[in-house]
Amino acid sequence: MDQHLLATNDEAAPVRIIHHTEGLLLPCDSVTPASPNKDVFAIFEAQPDMIGLPVVENGQPIGLINRNIFMQSMARPFHREVYLNKSCIAFMDKQPLIVDKKTSIQDLSFKVLEGGQKAMNDGFIIADDDRYLGVGTAQDMLRAIANLQADKNRLVMESIDYASVIQQSLSRPSREAMRKTLADHFLIWEPRDIVSGDFYHFQDYEDGFLVVLFDCTGHGVPGAFMTLIMSAFLQSALNTVSHDDPSAIIGAVNRLVKTAMGNIDHQHAGSADEEEGADDGMDAAFCWVDRRNRTLTYAGAHLPLLLLGPDDQEVRIVEGDRQGVGYAATPMDQVWQNHEVALPEGTCVYFFTDGLVDQLGGAKRIAFGKRRTREIILRHRRQTMPEQRAALLAALKEYQGTEPRKDDVSAIAFRL
Amino acid sequence: MENLYIPATNETPEINFRFSEHQLHVSGESYPENAMAFYAPIRASLHNYLDRTQAQGAVEAHFSLRYFNSSSTKLIRSLIALMHDSAQAGKRIVTHWYHDPDDDMMSEFGNDLKDEFRMLDIRVVALETA
Repeated sequence: MDQHLLATNDEAAPVRIIHHTEGLLLPCDSVTPASPNKDVFAIFEAQPDMIGLPVVENGQPIGLINRNIFMQSMARPFHREVYLNKSCIAFMDKQPLIVDKKTSIQDLSFKVLEGGQKAMNDGFIIADDDRYLGVGTAQDMLRAIANLQADKNRLVMESIDYASVIQQSLSRPSREAMRKTLADHFLIWEPRDIVSGDFYHFQDYEDGFLVVLFDCTGHGVPGAFMTLIMSAFLQSALNTVSHDDPSAIIGAVNRLVKTAMGNIDHQHAGSADEEEGADDGMDAAFCWVDRRNRTLTYAGAHLPLLLLGPDDQEVRIVEGDRQGVGYAATPMDQVWQNHEVALPEGTCVYFFTDGLVDQLGGAKRIAFGKRRTREIILRHRRQTMPEQRAALLAALKEYQGTEPRKDDVSAIAFRL
Repeated sequence: MENLYIPATNETPEINFRFSEHQLHVSGESYPENAMAFYAPIRASLHNYLDRTQAQGAVEAHFSLRYFNSSSTKLIRSLIALMHDSAQAGKRIVTHWYHDPDDDMMSEFGNDLKDEFRMLDIRVVALETA
């Protein structure tokens, strides 16, 4: 028997996880075709909980007598006198559901459903290679399904929870370096489903620091897989190109992803029924800040740079290039432009993934939008970065209302 | 060829391609886990139609989308690319991209499409959300 004991989350009592029909087996009296109805009557009377009585011939189940049908028939005028000594097969259901003991609980549940109301009420006979073993009830089957489901959910959730621990420990050095390097900054990293398709990298150098925020296709587990791959490629790109050249880094990552994952262009091969291969990549902002001459160099794939200088009246947006990184349609030799901007003292710099601006909400159920984001930044410009973070998240929460979160939401911001 | 109708679900838009009338509608939200699986047959069907159509007037496409995730973005773009190629080959196609007047993200996306697919007649239309 392949049963094992497991503790559930909410109670100490172990729950028996049943995988096969055998685990539902209830030993049950049976009768033979030779048995007269009076024997059936006696058994039902002695066992008030018994719903169905199996009829077994030469060890093989051939039918099931339903208690209610039998009792009602017997209650009719003269039936008792006429039938009491006759064979019990007169009131027997000749096509009860018979299930082999090795049948999985899932297959059993489909059979019970096919059987309609009858199998739900009467239960089913359990056999071992056509040999009668006993019966099972639909209620026990439902309990087994519920326990299996709860157990599977628990395993999946434990697995994702631990994946989240791994993902967060990978970004710990970046968080610590940010805290050391940036006196006034904030980080938002809110996965939609425990793990995230958004990720970031921060590294301090003698002459400045590198900030990368990226948003891989997908979210949840597949998105998180992509972030690990991208992080590894980013590390290896940083070994080959200069850390102060975002354009060079992003180009190197693109080549590494495309080469490793075979993201070649099969979409534009002229065939409409192309194979369904992986075509994954990322939006990203790569940013190098040179401390000595107070300049910021930014190269972006979709993901824009937002800037608010001390004398600016509006939040400036520097849009990234339109090509995503690593996708099949992105050329191997794609170049993302470097944009250089000066950073007068007190300039605030922001990067957001599209989970923020694309979040649906409000009375019209439309996107949160860039305009709203810029307004919030402008309104809170005098406040510290952690205060700005709180203001943004509060505004998003209010706007989102009861609408579910659509995507991972991440941001990195700092004042220099 | 037969019209293509796919009702909207929580994660996928309504597809209403009335090929017989040369009217193509995509409306709703799009964030399926596997966007390729949803859009591949739609793209195949559109490709097939654009290849064969003998429309007298213009083919009209209407996109009214509220939300789409990044993998859907690529596939919606690829539908537009098919129409662009067809327009370049001489077919008359008018593509309407609707957005709420307050939805700066959808309006920006429409204008980006206009920039990118210059041979296709794309009209970005501000339309109050019903």
